[in-house]
Amino acid sequence: MEFDVALTALIFVVTYAIIATDRIDKTVAALLGGTAVVVLGVISQEEAFGAIDLNVIFLLAGMMVLATILRRTGFFQWLAIRSVKVAGGDPFRLLIVLSVVCAVLSAFLDNVTTVVLLAPVTLYISSVLHVSPLPFLISEILASNIGGTATLIGDPPNILIGSASGLGFVEFLTNLGPIALLILLVFLVMCRVLFGRDLEIHADVRDAVLALDEREVLNDVWLLRVSLLVIGGTLSGFLLATPLGLEPGSIALLGASILLLISRLDVEEILREVEWPTLFFFVGLFMLVEAVVHVGIIEALAVALIDLTGGDPTITSLGLLWLSGLASGVVDNIPYTATMIPVVNHLGQAGMPIEPLWWSLALGACLGGNATIVGASANVVVANMAGRAGHPITFQAFLRYGILVAAVSLVMSSAYLYLRYLL
Amino acid sequence: MTGRYSLARQTPVSACQQRLAIEMLLVGADDDLLVVMRRSAEQPQTRLIGVIGEDGKMVGVLPIHRLAESVVSRVAPEALLSDISGAVDVARFGHSVEARVVRDVMVEPAVVQPEVTIDHAFRQMRVRRLSGLYVVDADGRPTGYLDLLELVLMYVDALESSPPAPSG
Repeated sequence: MEFDVALTALIFVVTYAIIATDRIDKTVAALLGGTAVVVLGVISQEEAFGAIDLNVIFLLAGMMVLATILRRTGFFQWLAIRSVKVAGGDPFRLLIVLSVVCAVLSAFLDNVTTVVLLAPVTLYISSVLHVSPLPFLISEILASNIGGTATLIGDPPNILIGSASGLGFVEFLTNLGPIALLILLVFLVMCRVLFGRDLEIHADVRDAVLALDEREVLNDVWLLRVSLLVIGGTLSGFLLATPLGLEPGSIALLGASILLLISRLDVEEILREVEWPTLFFFVGLFMLVEAVVHVGIIEALAVALIDLTGGDPTITSLGLLWLSGLASGVVDNIPYTATMIPVVNHLGQAGMPIEPLWWSLALGACLGGNATIVGASANVVVANMAGRAGHPITFQAFLRYGILVAAVSLVMSSAYLYLRYLL
Repeated sequence: MTGRYSLARQTPVSACQQRLAIEMLLVGADDDLLVVMRRSAEQPQTRLIGVIGEDGKMVGVLPIHRLAESVVSRVAPEALLSDISGAVDVARFGHSVEARVVRDVMVEPAVVQPEVTIDHAFRQMRVRRLSGLYVVDADGRPTGYLDLLELVLMYVDALESSPPAPSG
């Protein structure tokens, strides 16, 4: 047994180190780690495959299909141009409107899709207004991660936590929604200080941006209406999932199937656009983490945590929040959350009130992602994209804004957790 | 090796390069895109613009559709916005919007030497999704232009001059 513990710990550490350093593709690393524990006999194949949370996989896959079809309609570009019109061509007002749009969309759709597809209009507008697109792109990233915190489907860590804890869409919305909204409002106020000076323009260029015609970017109005209807129905389905005894994964798959049926789009083409690497990344992680639980490492970690905090729920919850926030700033928050979920389960079994711990983990993992450019998928994708478009977002440039927003978010979350659950 | 295939593997680019007598269109990396667009319109047969450095060597090529994208994106960006579906498209759009000189939108040189085969030239055009290539001398200076149509005409000739291969 001791050999199994050492072997599993070694595989786990090596896999996570590879993921963190990006030396090998993270999906390959997770799958290698996940299959290694099976091939080396740490856990059986049945145990490994049984640990793959199909609710998480199907929820992600279903939402990816819905987002893929929606983005084909030109909806995101339409929304971005509408935002320009609402802002009246004023760059700072536009930054605020786009941040709000990003936050709201990210609460219900994939963060990366949202930020990437709002970016082209952002790049165009900043070019016409002769301002740097970086304040817009950075604020969209930050707002996206804040918005994604609000719901069960907003960010992958929440999907993982929701599936493992049994907490549903309503619970996430009512527990994380208020604090996410509050943080967003404070963030919007902070934007004036953070970005206001970079967005001064000459008045005579405003007309050029207002000349954009949002109707021209819609590819298929019928498909847009149907997509929004089905996505709306799917979101309503999430609200009803728990009373109906259904998992969110079933609801998302049902929504995706209905939209594929109605849209009559080429199913193979749509499914090719599903982010299979992300889904297989989760598969590998589930298998690997199951081995870590099986050999007792997680239980030992939980006991050590209880010893460290003296079993005090307040210290444990707030400690978990900040640990998660700091960890998510430097490592991928998905493997971090996958590992911490069984730890939280053990803490609950040891008699600690478990609900505040789930919210601590969710808030820390999601909001901590804002601290650095590598903290969340949306950050990395937008940074790469901006670099290729000739506007590199350096680690330091992002850190100036990200670390401050993440710190303020975690302080606010600490106060919220304490006042609502721990007082 | 069949007769048709040996044609592809043995015919040098120089054998078909001047069939349509399409002239080179050479510009500098710092030339204004709008000026280049005007020059291109005066020579519409050349669908791939060659970009040369001060030493006369090829430093890049500019496909007409990329040039068109950069001009259209400044006037009616909606036409390009509606097709964007991912990060790569966004980056390309971002480049197009801000492009003002050739250097901003040109791509790696697409060149062949006159002695390489038309099979090699066709594969290069296909991989790079280009409709032409520049023929260069040993020093990398352009000596001519090879259009996809000139190359394909060689295959058309071969098809028309030999009996069809048996089916089944």
